[in-house]
Amino acid sequence: MTTWAFSFVFPFLLVIAVLQQVTIRSGRDLRGWGSALVLGLISAGIVAIPVGDWPLARWMISFNANFSIPLTAILFAKVVEPFFGIKLLDDRAFLTCWIFSIASGAALYPMALGLSDLDPYAAGWEFSWLFVLMFFLTVVLLVMKNRFSLVGIAAILAYNLRLLESTNLWDYLVDPFLVVTACIAIVCRVRRNAQLEKRARGNQ
Amino acid sequence: MNRRLLIIFLLVTVGLYAWPAYEWLFAGNDSNTFVAAPVSSSITPDASFIHREFINADSGSGMVHVGSICELPQGRLAAAWYGGSREGAQDVAVFLSVKGSGDAWSRPQTVVDRVSASRELSRYVKKVGNPLLFSDPGGRLWLVYVTIAVGGWSGSSLNITWSDDGGSNWSKSQRLTLSPFFNISELVRNRPLPLSSGGFAVPIYHECLGNFPEILWLQSRSNSPEVHFKKSRMTGGNSFIQPSVVVLSPSAARAFYRCRSYEKAIGTAITNDTGKNWSELQTLSLPNPDSALDALLLSDQRILLVFNDSTANRENLRLAVSHDQGRHWTRIATLDSEPRGEFSYPYMIRTEDGRIHLVYTWDRKRIAHVVFNEAWVDAQMEGTRK
Repeated sequence: MTTWAFSFVFPFLLVIAVLQQVTIRSGRDLRGWGSALVLGLISAGIVAIPVGDWPLARWMISFNANFSIPLTAILFAKVVEPFFGIKLLDDRAFLTCWIFSIASGAALYPMALGLSDLDPYAAGWEFSWLFVLMFFLTVVLLVMKNRFSLVGIAAILAYNLRLLESTNLWDYLVDPFLVVTACIAIVCRVRRNAQLEKRARGNQ
Repeated sequence: MNRRLLIIFLLVTVGLYAWPAYEWLFAGNDSNTFVAAPVSSSITPDASFIHREFINADSGSGMVHVGSICELPQGRLAAAWYGGSREGAQDVAVFLSVKGSGDAWSRPQTVVDRVSASRELSRYVKKVGNPLLFSDPGGRLWLVYVTIAVGGWSGSSLNITWSDDGGSNWSKSQRLTLSPFFNISELVRNRPLPLSSGGFAVPIYHECLGNFPEILWLQSRSNSPEVHFKKSRMTGGNSFIQPSVVVLSPSAARAFYRCRSYEKAIGTAITNDTGKNWSELQTLSLPNPDSALDALLLSDQRILLVFNDSTANRENLRLAVSHDQGRHWTRIATLDSEPRGEFSYPYMIRTEDGRIHLVYTWDRKRIAHVVFNEAWVDAQMEGTRK
């Protein structure tokens, strides 16, 4: 039941994010509890609308049942910011997330899909080197006061509560959409930095 | 983040990672071993015996495929397969038929189709596929089956359901998440191996970028409606799938594989640590036309193999026996052979009375059921020596 209920969270946040973009483009102010409540209610209604045999959210789950906790956390942070002006994840946390996601995806997917005899996915079924690695990574990020550490804590909490359909820790840490998002974000970041550098040189 | 908050978060992190560590140390890390097939004292009646029949009526213009069979209490049998207008069609359903001692096979009933699977899994299901039927010592009937939401077989996911009343009523299906990439490309087909813990090692396989065999470790707990599972890989690569595993001892087993590569030969590997690690793959002298096969341990430790004896087609189905745990083989009988016919996807079990039950796809029209005993196998062996 908890897993089923949690499967609505990512689609709910995604619909809010889309509604926010539409609202911003129409020139309306999103700040405040009122906007959050209205868009939240509209989003809840949309994801709960039965389309055929299931609510809209379950259609999304048909094609990917395990949206990772970092992807959900990023979306949550992005959704909260326009309403309340709070940056739950700062720039450093985002950069850490992109690097973590690309590194995890590069380590996991090629091998799990059979490009080597090793299967890192097997480490996620029960306590293993993956748990130890994630524990130390979370502790180091906490000590460094990197907010991505809180996402790491949320991931292991979600794993212990079995909030996703998967019982494998990897699925709580990374998913294909997160890796694609991270790649796009890194490319955009590199291009932006290059443009800034060019502009700075031009000003000299 | 101030110092006090940092300490709280550190303690929370320790606590959250301590829980899976505790479970691993004290709850879930049981030492599983294989359970050899039970051998009854009434095994091997004197006379050589073989009986052939069909489980289902001719499917007409439709098709049936991928049969599996298991023993129920009181010597009854249950068989499952999928059928529909064509392979991968949306009208494909998984069927079940039951046979009492001395009775005929019951009229096939639908266990799951795309509509019921969609409802139970609460998501879109485009079609259903390979079913695997097996029973546990408590008489519970298990069904692992394939569903697809997008694409062909490489879009497959596995699901599990069970019945405590011999197949009349089934539990709500549970999705098994087994792959990190959209949970696709996992399929099932071969006989599971019972474990000392009461669970099963179910041979499965992956078909996407790579084609390789895996083991699904299933464990049900009596007080929980959920099935606990994990997966391990037998080998990587792109050549061998559909492992048929024969238990040689509580820790040793030999696997035989369908070959997808140019080698066109049956692959094999062994484990000596209950499936945790598998040897390098080797090929047998027996051919394989990219087709399923099945192997079974006989009561005197010989291995019986049923396979398509060709590198090109599935027009024959033959039996072979090995006396040396699968290294060398003697062909002993041809079960079916017909030009342009298809006799494929064999699946064998040995029941408590010592008889061997084999089901296979007969020209995609019917599921054939052949019953024989070890005396018949011996007689065929004798025949090959003359």
